[in-house]
Amino acid sequence: MKELKILLILIVLVLIGYWGIEPYAHSVMHGEVKQPDHTYKDVPKNIPTTGDPVKGKELFTTNCASCHGLKNDGVNPGMDIQTSITSFKVVPPDLSNIGAILDEHFLAYFIKNPQDATKNPKFAMPPMAQLSDEDIGHVVAYLKSVTKKDLTGKEITVEACGRCHSIKYQKVLSDTPKEPLKEYLGKVPPDLSVIGKAKNVEYLETFINNPQNTLPGTSMPRLGLTKESTEKVVTYLDQIADPHRDQRNTLGIWVIGYLLFMAGITFAWKKKIWKNIH
Amino acid sequence: MKFMDWLDERLAVRQLVKVMLTEYYVPKNINFLWSFGVLIMLVMAILFVSGIFLLMYYKPDANLAFDSVNKTIMMDVEYGWLFRHTHAVGASIMFLVLFIHMARGIYYGSYKAPREIVWITGYILFILMSATAFTGYLLPWGQMSYWAAQTITTLFEKIPFIGPDLVIWIRGNYIVEDATLTRFFALHVMLLPLLLAIFTAIHLYAVRIVGSNNEDGGELTKEDKKKGKGISFWPVFMAKEFFVMSVFLVFFFYLVFYQYKFAMDQINFIPADYLQTPHHIYPEWYFLAFYEVLRGFFFSQNLGLIAFLFSMFIVAFLPWLDTSPIKSGKHRPLYRIMFWIFVADFLFLTILGKLPATGLYAWLGFVGSIVFFIFFLALPIISRIEKKRLAGGM
Amino acid sequence: MAEERLSRRDFLLYAMGGWAVVGVGGVLYAMYKTWEPLPEVKAQATTKFDLSTVQPGEIKVVSWRGKPIFILRKSPDMVQCKDRSVKDEYTVVAGICTHLGCIPNWEPEKKTWHCPCHGGEYDACGKNIFGPPPRPLDVPPFKIEGNSIVLGEEGQEYKQMKEKGLTV
Repeated sequence: MKELKILLILIVLVLIGYWGIEPYAHSVMHGEVKQPDHTYKDVPKNIPTTGDPVKGKELFTTNCASCHGLKNDGVNPGMDIQTSITSFKVVPPDLSNIGAILDEHFLAYFIKNPQDATKNPKFAMPPMAQLSDEDIGHVVAYLKSVTKKDLTGKEITVEACGRCHSIKYQKVLSDTPKEPLKEYLGKVPPDLSVIGKAKNVEYLETFINNPQNTLPGTSMPRLGLTKESTEKVVTYLDQIADPHRDQRNTLGIWVIGYLLFMAGITFAWKKKIWKNIH
Repeated sequence: MKFMDWLDERLAVRQLVKVMLTEYYVPKNINFLWSFGVLIMLVMAILFVSGIFLLMYYKPDANLAFDSVNKTIMMDVEYGWLFRHTHAVGASIMFLVLFIHMARGIYYGSYKAPREIVWITGYILFILMSATAFTGYLLPWGQMSYWAAQTITTLFEKIPFIGPDLVIWIRGNYIVEDATLTRFFALHVMLLPLLLAIFTAIHLYAVRIVGSNNEDGGELTKEDKKKGKGISFWPVFMAKEFFVMSVFLVFFFYLVFYQYKFAMDQINFIPADYLQTPHHIYPEWYFLAFYEVLRGFFFSQNLGLIAFLFSMFIVAFLPWLDTSPIKSGKHRPLYRIMFWIFVADFLFLTILGKLPATGLYAWLGFVGSIVFFIFFLALPIISRIEKKRLAGGM
Repeated sequence: MAEERLSRRDFLLYAMGGWAVVGVGGVLYAMYKTWEPLPEVKAQATTKFDLSTVQPGEIKVVSWRGKPIFILRKSPDMVQCKDRSVKDEYTVVAGICTHLGCIPNWEPEKKTWHCPCHGGEYDACGKNIFGPPPRPLDVPPFKIEGNSIVLGEEGQEYKQMKEKGLTV
């Protein structure tokens, strides 16, 4: 009985300490994680997001294809990597699946005013002032019509993040080399290989949704991913950061089971040895 | 048995077994807190073994270290993650077990005559273990590794005259860099474990000479042992020990598999970057109380540093601060009160140490740091009161 | 006779011991020296930088001995301080918080440095104005050579500042 009392005191002290240095300290240091807003409330919804894909393709060829490629439809960018780096310090992405990854209203507003949509005044793409709202609708319709269906988390991550971020452990290197990125963003953006361990899932989701909300002043733009794409990206990042999770969870049960049995045997032996002592 | 005879003639193994195990007597009136010494040995063994296997893939180079840990060991090597989790959690739990072992010694007066050497060697082991943990924490070369090392080595700058040069000498560079990593690596895997092994041997030898303390603080005489007041180390004591060990291992491996995050800070999964400080820098939990004493005197850095050193070293002088003839806290009501205040304060400082030192927290840290020292300063006074009472009673 | 021999043996013993101590001392010295910074590290001792490349109101970060050195060319709307300025308009300070060695960030709107670790703040002169830092940002040893500044050498201006106790 006395020993159980001592054990109880130990457990209480350890639990208080654990609560203090883990959940409590982290809640004080990081505050509450804000909820992501996947509807992009501040983005105007009055720009049409539907139209004629054929017209959209024409508009795309004349207005976008000088910088952007679209491999799904056989369009190559009008600029090689070196030229685009000299003009923008960042490689403009291929837009094959952008229609599936981004929220459509965000995409429409982004074409019209990239700086405001991304909440990043230094964003490299110029506003497409020459396009009317109706034109934008055609382009969005075109972009949506060519996308691949059922993109995997990896594909979305590479398309959405890959022009600036590398994922070294997955052998994915950023489209843009490090030096121009440093000029464009002020520093080389972090590698995403184990970001899933450095940040938790809720944080990543909120951060990707609106970086400025979590890290004011950061040079990462808001991407306008749909809820589904965000979740796929975050799940992917979490997975690659911790590839042995399933193995760990299963093995843990076996090891603990083994040790519980061991505790049983040792207890029986202790009883036997101590029978005549007291 | 022939072989045993052969061995006995050459190594006197039978005598050794008698002296060390079967005829080494431990008092009967002890509780499971006396099992923690062997638990420390168990954790030490776990750390040695897991460490050896990490060593086979780890690369002590500022350009390679982070990837060798987070890619090679954590992802590519079969069960590499298991060894790293075990090593990280083992280091953390080592201190939990050490703190309990030390607290038991303090509560039951195990530092008192004739066990001063046991206490001092134990204290040296604690300092060595802290150094091992500190040097080891730099090795993954993450942001927290880096900035913890940067912050702590900066402390040496405050030493009069030689400070600034000493810092550069320790780092081998003007900042924490590759040279620092490699030398910390050498200390962590070679010199410090060697010293730990040597002092563990002395510590255990000293315990074998003076015997274990017990709940009531009386000493076992040779007669007592014969009358059955003591229990043999083997098999009686160890029979219980094995049970305690297996229960402990259940807890330990639960942490390794399912609750390891407290031992592997999130921030440390971002590679070290000397141009960007993380928003919050804090040491591992086991240094937080001492760290808080350092920060507690927030109005004077020098005072904080002195208090910090004092808090680390005063523990060694317990046998001479507390001169009361009564050993065990069980029979010392005044001492018991101070002990629990001390334990509560240590816990309080540990929690505060992780919180940002601003506003109210800064003042609480100051109060907590003062209370930390009150325990030690009160000991001579309590001793005097108890001596008087004893004299009066006679 | 016997005593004499004994004392001679004692002397030899002490001589042997003493000589051994000298040897151990030599070994310790060699060990101590192995931890000194390597030549290529020591080569970073000085850094030269052209001050005229900084625009008014702009801040540049120069690496000197692996430490970031902030070079801020102050615009008239910033805090002025004659004694801590280099060439009257530059603030040259080590970008290392004097509290616990973190790197403060420049906040252009507030025109202050803010330390991310423990919330310390410094004004445009590098003076601590809030939080735990015990003193202003350190001024690294420098020498003015025309439009350039050489970090790591003590020039006239630096010595004057040092005499007034402004550098540490």
